[in-house]
Amino acid sequence: MEHDDGVDEHDTPAEVDATFRTLRRVAITHVVLFLAAVMGVPALSLTLGWWSGGRLAGGMSPGFAMAAFGLYAFFLVIGLAAATLSSAVEARMLGGRHDDDNDDYPADGELP
Amino acid sequence: MRTGSALLAGTICVTWAVVYLVTQVFVSPPLGVGTTVAAGTVATVLLVFGYPSALRGPRAATALRRWSRRRAGSEAPDGREAQDPEGRGAVRSRRRIVAGGRRMPLRSGLTADAARRTAELLRPLLGGDAVVITDRELNLAFVGPGSDHHQAGGPVRAAAVRSAITKGRTVVSRRASNMGCDDPDCPLRSAVVVPLVVGARVVGTIGVFRTHDQPAPRDQIEDMASILSLHLELAEADRERKLASDARLDALRAQINPHFLFNILNTIASKSRTDPDEARQLLLRLSDFFRYAVRQEGQLAEFAQEYFFVRTYLSLEQARFGDRLRVRYDIDPQVLTAHVPVLTIQPLVENAVKHGLADKVEGGTVTLKARVDPLTRTTSIRVVDDGVGMTADVLDVLGNGSSPDRGVDGSRGAAGARGGVGLQNISERLTTLFGERFTLDIQSTAGEGTAVEVRVPLR
Repeated sequence: MEHDDGVDEHDTPAEVDATFRTLRRVAITHVVLFLAAVMGVPALSLTLGWWSGGRLAGGMSPGFAMAAFGLYAFFLVIGLAAATLSSAVEARMLGGRHDDDNDDYPADGELP
Repeated sequence: MRTGSALLAGTICVTWAVVYLVTQVFVSPPLGVGTTVAAGTVATVLLVFGYPSALRGPRAATALRRWSRRRAGSEAPDGREAQDPEGRGAVRSRRRIVAGGRRMPLRSGLTADAARRTAELLRPLLGGDAVVITDRELNLAFVGPGSDHHQAGGPVRAAAVRSAITKGRTVVSRRASNMGCDDPDCPLRSAVVVPLVVGARVVGTIGVFRTHDQPAPRDQIEDMASILSLHLELAEADRERKLASDARLDALRAQINPHFLFNILNTIASKSRTDPDEARQLLLRLSDFFRYAVRQEGQLAEFAQEYFFVRTYLSLEQARFGDRLRVRYDIDPQVLTAHVPVLTIQPLVENAVKHGLADKVEGGTVTLKARVDPLTRTTSIRVVDDGVGMTADVLDVLGNGSSPDRGVDGSRGAAGARGGVGLQNISERLTTLFGERFTLDIQSTAGEGTAVEVRVPLR
């Protein structure tokens, strides 16, 4: 059955609102993790002497290594995770499902 | 969250603060960083793993106690074993049989595969050379000498087995001539055949054969047959329970109110003149609604699918009620992929619309809130309306799980109207699926609204 004859599918305002609020939760979680990581580096520098005084490969301190590499890797991971989760949320919370119209029930109502 | 994830997070923070103070401030000189981190990590792990267990209660300890009690019940007390006339060997053998019975493949029903595995398992336990398990007509499994002509899947050839099926009691054969096997080269000389009984019906037999004239111990085989019969009864009970659960789901599908369909069709008919595009949208949504209700298979579905079903339903109702029906969804991203019982949320929402808001002139708001608590591994779904609510009498009738027909005067119609049958159906299906590991809470105040909350284990 073909029914895509120009009538656009639309979601109700309540559904869009719900999706927005769910995506907002994802975004807030992302921001909280981001800020925790950004604030964590100086916090560790203030509280742990080893964080600044220790030496890793190449003479880098753990704080320096974290600021130079670790934070970027962490931001990449949480950014990808947030984007993937947001796409999944949008796909699951918006739109219809009547694209699989190869029903086993013909139009005359006779069972297959 | 009501179960206290925030509380746990706070406790972990406080724990880390305490660990820091103890290891870095109060102690002079301060301990090493590794020690501090290790102590904090251990405390955190203990808290995170211990917290859900604390919420669930001491289940492991209970299980241990039950297990201990069962063991104590199955074993003789001190001294009795020594006085047992059958002697220690027989008691030990019986204990092995009981242990074998606990993991019996026949728990899944009297099938050829289960019978074969059971026969292989029991042959060394029952002291026979060959073991046969039959239904009323066929050898389902035969293990041991003689399997060349007593073939699994073939007809029952031993007259002793046929006799046990016919008479419904144990048959002991001490001579090859009494065995009644029609193969002259059959090595089997003696047999003990015990019927397997479910209720009052003989559904099959278990037979133990020997290649000499001394039959296997009858008591042991009858004990094992009793255990097998019990397993078969449990398998049948499981099957009936599943059928009942499927029937309840079908009943809920069939319960889609024809008035809902009439009303929606009328709405669509009226919109088809004024707003053909919206009428077409509504028809598509109606099609989606019935397709989901009819096609949904299995007892569990992804929450996103149930959510789609609910919002399809509510969008149809919104077309009918207009501004009187307002909807608010509050969905946790984690809950979208959780599995929930099918056709559980929509009836709750339908109750909220039909009985909570339809009778309220100014209308109201239905709120669907879904959350996952990863620590307690539960999914909670809460449907709230600010409609007319229920009186305490009606709540009592619903809470007692009584049929509305049995309610007291005045509350009877209201309880039925409030969806008592649907709620009872949901409650029974949840019981079948989760046993006691779910909650279905109903809170309502007359004139203020109703809140129904379902909490199920996270799947």
